Amino acid sequence: MTKVVILNSNDDICADVIKHTGAEHRRLANTVMEEALEQAGVSFDEISYVIATGYGRITVPFADRQITELTCHARGVYHYVPSAKLAIDIGGQDAKGLKMNCGKLLDFVMSDKCAAGTGRFLELIAASLDLKLDDMGKLSLKSTSKASISSTCTVFARQEVVTRISEGVPLEDILAGIHDAIASRITRMVEKLKIEPDVVFTGGVAKNIGVIKSLETKLGFKVMVPEEPLLSGAIGAALLGKEITLKALAQGKPVQRGRRSLSESTFFQ
Amino acid sequence: MAWFMGIDIGSVMSKGVVTRDGKLVAHHMLASGVNYRNVSLRLREELLADTGLGAEDITRTVTTGHAAGLIPLSNKHVADTQCCARGSNYIFPSVRMVIDVQGQSSQVIHLDERGQITGFAVSEACASGSGYFIEAIANVLQVPLEDIGSLSLYAKNPVTFTTGCAVFGESEAISRVAEGVTKEDIIAGVHKALAGKISVLIDRVGLEEPCAISGGGGLNIGLIRSIEELGIQLLIPSQPQIVNALGAALFAGEQDS
Repeated sequence: MTKVVILNSNDDICADVIKHTGAEHRRLANTVMEEALEQAGVSFDEISYVIATGYGRITVPFADRQITELTCHARGVYHYVPSAKLAIDIGGQDAKGLKMNCGKLLDFVMSDKCAAGTGRFLELIAASLDLKLDDMGKLSLKSTSKASISSTCTVFARQEVVTRISEGVPLEDILAGIHDAIASRITRMVEKLKIEPDVVFTGGVAKNIGVIKSLETKLGFKVMVPEEPLLSGAIGAALLGKEITLKALAQGKPVQRGRRSLSESTFFQ
Repeated sequence: MAWFMGIDIGSVMSKGVVTRDGKLVAHHMLASGVNYRNVSLRLREELLADTGLGAEDITRTVTTGHAAGLIPLSNKHVADTQCCARGSNYIFPSVRMVIDVQGQSSQVIHLDERGQITGFAVSEACASGSGYFIEAIANVLQVPLEDIGSLSLYAKNPVTFTTGCAVFGESEAISRVAEGVTKEDIIAGVHKALAGKISVLIDRVGLEEPCAISGGGGLNIGLIRSIEELGIQLLIPSQPQIVNALGAALFAGEQDS
């Protein structure tokens, strides 16, 4: 997903747009930006500072600066939950754990080598069960006895799901098993960071109430989920942009801007 | 005269073999589907029809492979690693290492002159170390599985997969197609990736030669070439998929004596 957030000087969100990245949007981040500008009712020149982050941050030709998603993410999580000690972010292609204190990143773990433990796992399971991704979480809460999914590999887990269906295991129990599997994997991954509350859960998978509940069972305490868990990285980037601008102004220096070009990305920039 | 049967239920194909006096006399293959019980019974019927035997003529049946415990006609279950070693030893008595590439896993087996295992390494529970990876990419590229090996021989510039995951590999293949990379180069890249996983298994147990291949992977000339590029000469059975079933049937026969 490509996300754009525009903040005003009071840190109010003036615009937030979330669009599928896809093959096209990777080149056309500018169209998502234009939509956000329209939503906020401002012109591009009025934006004091633009920070690009995430996997595709180098393909944003109109950014003043690129900052890694880990830094932006930690900043965004701090904005939502100042007491956060650990952020768990599960996106479509990777999962991250960020150990932090007062918004500062102390350590992190990441898994992007394998589809298990990412949103991709849930996407594929939803597709093979002919379910909407958004319905999985709620449905799984009806489960009375979660099915056991022993395969770590997404491919083999998908076959296991088909086997469970043919054995007559109720759909909600299978889903509960799937959510338990992903929560176990993520818990194991972040254990290295010494888990302590408050834990904030973000990324697309944080929209799945089944995974939230499973994660809480594994951790033994509640996790906090921002209202829009997809936006924490973009909000963090905007806040860092504001800090950079304010710092320059306080020092009486001009704000160092990039060579902005609100156009589609090419390979020659 | 004693007849013996070996049944190997694979994740993709199920194979059956009949032996007499320690010699292969008939074999049959069927798609496994989801009902292993059914497919094993059908295999037996086909084998009995092929040989003109009745069920009572079969002295003993050994099963191997997936869910072998569920199969009703089994006298005994033997692990696929053992069956593979035994079957490979029958076909190539001189072989000291077998690379068995199955639909859901791969294994590298060391064996002695009697076909007994002296060491082995099995791929992790990850689809990228198995024939599934090739199947998935064949599917993405809409190339029939049987054509994939020969097609990859036309590759000019095999792609390098950046991921070790079969699921992410599918997305990567789609991206390469969108960039205009040829199917041949993508397929050759998958063969290279799987050969790389197999090479890790070989490193774990050490290289022994002569070396044979078995399993569905033995039908794929592209994969065979990629393994040979690792510096290993491969002996290829004419029916690589039935090796484990053959081993099972031979075990059934040996128990009698």
